Amino acid sequence: MNQPLIDLQHISKSFDGTMVLDDLCLTVKENSFVTLLGPSGCGKTTTLRIIGGFESPDQGKVIFDGQDITRLPANKRPLNTVFQKYALFTHMTIAENIAFGLKIRNKPKAYIQDKIKYALKLVNLDGYENRSVDSLSGGQQQRIAIARAIVNEPRLLLLDEPLGALDLKLRQDMQYELIRLKNELGITFIYVTHDQEEALTMSDTIVVMNQGYIQQMGSPESIYNEPENAFVADFIGDSNIVPGTMIRDELVEIFGARFACVDKGFGTNRPVDVVIRPEDIDLVEPGQGTLSGVVTHLIFKGVHYEMEVTTPDGFEWLVHSTDLFPVGKKVDLRVDPFDIQIMNKPASEDEEAMGVNE
Amino acid sequence: MKGKFTSIRRILSDFYLVLILIFLYAPILTMMVLSFNTSKSRTQWGGFTLNWYQLMLSDPDILAALSNTLLIAFISALAACILGTAAAIAINSMKPVSRTIVMGITNIPMLNADIVTGISLMLAFIAFGISLGFKTILIAHITFNIPYVILSVMPKLKQTDKSTYEAALDLGASPLYAFFKVVFPDILPGVLSGFLLAFTMSLDDFIITHFTRGAGINTLSTLIYSQVRRGIQPSMYALSTVIFVTVLVLLLITNYKPKETKGRESLSGSSSHLGQTIQKWAMGGAAVFILASVTLVTWKNYSASHTNELYVYNWGDYIDDEVVEMFEEETGIKVTYDMFETNEEMYPVIEAGAVTYDVVCPSDYMIQKMIENDMLAEVDFANVPNISQINPEYMEMSQAFDPENRYSVPYCWGTVGILYNTKRLEELSVEPPESWMDLWDPALQGEILMQDSVRDAFMVALKGLGYSMNTTDEGELQEAKELLIAQKPLVQAYVIDQVRDKMIGGEAAVGVIYSGEMLYIQEEVENLGLDYSLEYVVPKEGTNLWIDSWVIPKNAKNKENAEKWMDFLCRPDIALRNFEYITYSTPNQGAFDLLEPEIQENKAVFPDVDKLENSEVYRYLGDEEEGVYNALWKEVKSR
Repeated sequence: MNQPLIDLQHISKSFDGTMVLDDLCLTVKENSFVTLLGPSGCGKTTTLRIIGGFESPDQGKVIFDGQDITRLPANKRPLNTVFQKYALFTHMTIAENIAFGLKIRNKPKAYIQDKIKYALKLVNLDGYENRSVDSLSGGQQQRIAIARAIVNEPRLLLLDEPLGALDLKLRQDMQYELIRLKNELGITFIYVTHDQEEALTMSDTIVVMNQGYIQQMGSPESIYNEPENAFVADFIGDSNIVPGTMIRDELVEIFGARFACVDKGFGTNRPVDVVIRPEDIDLVEPGQGTLSGVVTHLIFKGVHYEMEVTTPDGFEWLVHSTDLFPVGKKVDLRVDPFDIQIMNKPASEDEEAMGVNE
Repeated sequence: MKGKFTSIRRILSDFYLVLILIFLYAPILTMMVLSFNTSKSRTQWGGFTLNWYQLMLSDPDILAALSNTLLIAFISALAACILGTAAAIAINSMKPVSRTIVMGITNIPMLNADIVTGISLMLAFIAFGISLGFKTILIAHITFNIPYVILSVMPKLKQTDKSTYEAALDLGASPLYAFFKVVFPDILPGVLSGFLLAFTMSLDDFIITHFTRGAGINTLSTLIYSQVRRGIQPSMYALSTVIFVTVLVLLLITNYKPKETKGRESLSGSSSHLGQTIQKWAMGGAAVFILASVTLVTWKNYSASHTNELYVYNWGDYIDDEVVEMFEEETGIKVTYDMFETNEEMYPVIEAGAVTYDVVCPSDYMIQKMIENDMLAEVDFANVPNISQINPEYMEMSQAFDPENRYSVPYCWGTVGILYNTKRLEELSVEPPESWMDLWDPALQGEILMQDSVRDAFMVALKGLGYSMNTTDEGELQEAKELLIAQKPLVQAYVIDQVRDKMIGGEAAVGVIYSGEMLYIQEEVENLGLDYSLEYVVPKEGTNLWIDSWVIPKNAKNKENAEKWMDFLCRPDIALRNFEYITYSTPNQGAFDLLEPEIQENKAVFPDVDKLENSEVYRYLGDEEEGVYNALWKEVKSR
C-alpha cells in the first residue's frame, strides 16, 4: 500500500554504556494513532526523542515519508512535539506562544491572527489570547501546548506523556479531546505513555516496549486479549500467569489439573506460561470446576469484587466477579477454553526482554 | 507578669539590634558627617558646607579616577556577564560529577584572598610581557567578576525547564534564536543581578586594582589610598560618601529585583508589555553607554599615544597640579602622573619594572638603598642648570645618602620636633620644651603623643641620650629601649597622623610631629578661633632631618625629559608655587628669597640650619639592622 510516514530502521542508542534501544524497527502509517507503552526506562521516550530530533541514534535510520532525516536537526523537521511539562514560554502571552512557530516561518500577520483564533477554538479556549501562562490551570496549559504545536500544521505530532501531570478526571476529559482533535485534523499521532488504560482508550496501534525492545505491536484488542508474552500480559491489565505444561494441542495442564484451550503448535509435554485474565475465571461450587481452592481475600471494587483464591499448591489466583464468595469458602475454578492464553517460556532474561515468542 | 516579661525582652532585643547597627554604621556615618564639615579638622565641627563636594567635582584627578572606575566597572561587568553566562550554560549541561568539580574550581577565585589574586595577576602580566595599565586592570576585574556572574546565573538555569528550549527548536527556531527568545528571558534576572554584583565588586575593589594598575591610571579606591599619606583631604570623605551611597543603592536594587519580578508574574497580560518596554529601554541605554565608553577609551588611547612623554611617580598630594600643567605647556611633554603612599610601597614597583617611571621622588634612606642596589641612573646636571638655585647646604645634607650628589635633586625637606600647647603647659606649670628629655617630665603624665613608628620613636630616645639616630651599637640601642619603656606610663597614645588633629583639638599638651604641616596647623588654629596657640620646637639635641629628592630609575625610557622635569621644579617661581601648595620647607634659595619675610622667619617652617648641626638624615641600615630595631620596638610596645 502507501509507504509509511515514519520508518525507524534498526535504531540503537545507549547512554553512558547503558543500552536503551537495541536494533529497534518500527513503522507508523499516515493518519494513525500509535502509542508507545511501557514502564519507565523502557526506551519509549528515547524513541520519541529520536523521531523529534532531540537525540541522534548511534545506529540506524529515521525515514520520514521516504526521506532520511536521521541527521536533520530538530528545528528543520516537519513535525511537532507536545512535551510532558507543557514547556510553554512563561514570559510570553498565550497568543505569542501560539504564534512562535508561525513567526519563525515568516507567515503574514493576518494569517497568524487567524491561526491563533482557530487553534484556541479548537482546544476550547477562545478569548485567552492575552492571558499569561501562569494564570492557566494545568489542563489549559496543556491544551495551549497542543494548540502551539498544531498551528504549524505538522504531518506528525509527537506527544510525550502529555497528560501525565493532570489529575484523573482531567486526564479522561483530555483523552477524548485528543481523539477528537486527531480526527478533526487528520494528523498522525505518536503518543508515549506508561498508562495502559490511556493507551487502550486512544490508540489505533499499541507498541508495548520493555528494556529497549518492542514486546508486541498491535491493536488494543489483540494486545489485551492475546498477549504474546508474560511481560505484556502482566503489563496490560491484571493477569494470572502460571507455569503449565502443554500436554498436546488444545490441552494444557496447570497444577495437575487439565484445561481445554484453543492454542495449537506448542508440541507435546512442553513447559509453557499460561495467562488467564481475572475476569475470565468463573467461581463455582466445589466439584463443578477444574481446580479447587479457598477464598483467602476479598475486596469490594465497585463494579465487581476482587478475590484471591488459593489453590493447594500455594498459588493465589486473582479473580474478578460480580458474585460474592466470602473468605474461607471452598470454591472451584472454571475457565472457558478461549479465555486461556498459552505463551512460550523464555529461556533466559535476555530472551524475556526481547520478547521471543516462537 | 508574663506580658511584662516579654515586653522587657523585646525592648532588650531592640536595644541589642540598635547597638549592632551603631557598631556597624557609626564609622561610615562619622565620615559622612565630616564630608559636610567646614573645618578640615577631624574633631572640630566648623559648620555645614557642600564645599568638599564642589571641590571633589572640580578636581580633574578625581574625575579621571571616577571615569576610569565607572568604565572599568561597566566593561568588566558586561564582559564577565557574557563570559560567565556562557560558562554557566556549559557547566549546567555537564554531568553532575564534573559539574560539581567545575563549580568548585570557579568558586575558588572568590574565596581566594584578594592580595593573592592581585599579586598572581600582576606576576602573570609581567611574565607575559603585558605592560600594566588600563587594560590590565580591566582584564583583572573581568577575571574576578566571572565567578560572581556564574554563581548568580546558575540557580536560574537550574530552574529553567530544559524542554522550553527544545520546544522552541521543535517549533523551528535555530539554537541561537531559541536561546535568546526562550532561555535568556528566563535567566535574565540572574544575569542582571550578576551584572550588578560584578559592577559593585569592581567599584569596590582596591587590592587587585592596586597590583594590576599601571602608570597614571587610578580608580577611586587607589586614588584615595594614594592621598592618605599626606593627610586625607575632606573631599575624599565626600568621595567616599558618594561611593558608599552608590554601592548601597546598587545593592538595594540587586536585592529588590527578584521581588519585583514575582510581582510582575502575578499580574497578567499587559504588564509583560511593560516588562518588554523596560527591557528595550535598558538595552538602548546600555548600547549608548557602551558606545560612549568605547569612544572615550579610544580617545584616551589616542591622546596617550604621545611619543614625547614623562612618567612621574610621586607622593600623593605632593605637587601643585598647575605646575604639572605648566610643565606640559612649556615643554610639550605629556606627563603621566602617578602616586605612592610609602617608600616601601614605591620600592618594589620600581624594582619589578612592570611600570617604567622616568622620575621618582623617594626619601633619603630609600634613595641610599636604591643607589646601593644599583637602581638609579646618574643625573646629567648639565641638563639641570637650575640646580644652582638649591641652597648648597642641602646638597651637603644630601651627601648622607647620596655621597657625591650624583643621583638626586632635593625637592622638600623638614624636621621632626615637638608641638606644644602653650595654654595647657601653663595650666600644668611646665616650661615649654627645649629638649627631647622634656618628654620624660612626670608632670606631663597622660599629655604626651608619641609617633607610632619604630625609627621615629627610637630617634627621640637616641637623640635625647645624645647618640646618633642611625646607631647600630647594641648598648646604645638597649639604653634607648629602656628609656622608651620608662616613658610609657606618661604617654597618652602612640599615633601617626592623628597627632595633628589631636593637638588642634586640645587633647594633649605635647606631641612629636613632622614639621611639614605646621603652616596648616597654625592656620587652622586661627580659623577656629581657639584660645590657645600651638608652637613647634626642634629640640636642642638635634633631630631627624628628612629630605625627599627627585631621582631617575635606571630603566627610565625618557631620561632627558626627566632631567627637564627636575630643572623645571628647581626654577624659583615654580618652586615657590609648589611651596605655597605643599607648605613643606623648600631647599630652593631662589624661592625662599621670593617669600614674604613673615614666612621666611617662621622657625617652624624654616628652622635655622645652624641650629640643626646635630641633626641627621635617616640612613638605610640594611635588613639585618632594621630587624634589630623592630625587635626592640616590639619589646617596648609589648610591655
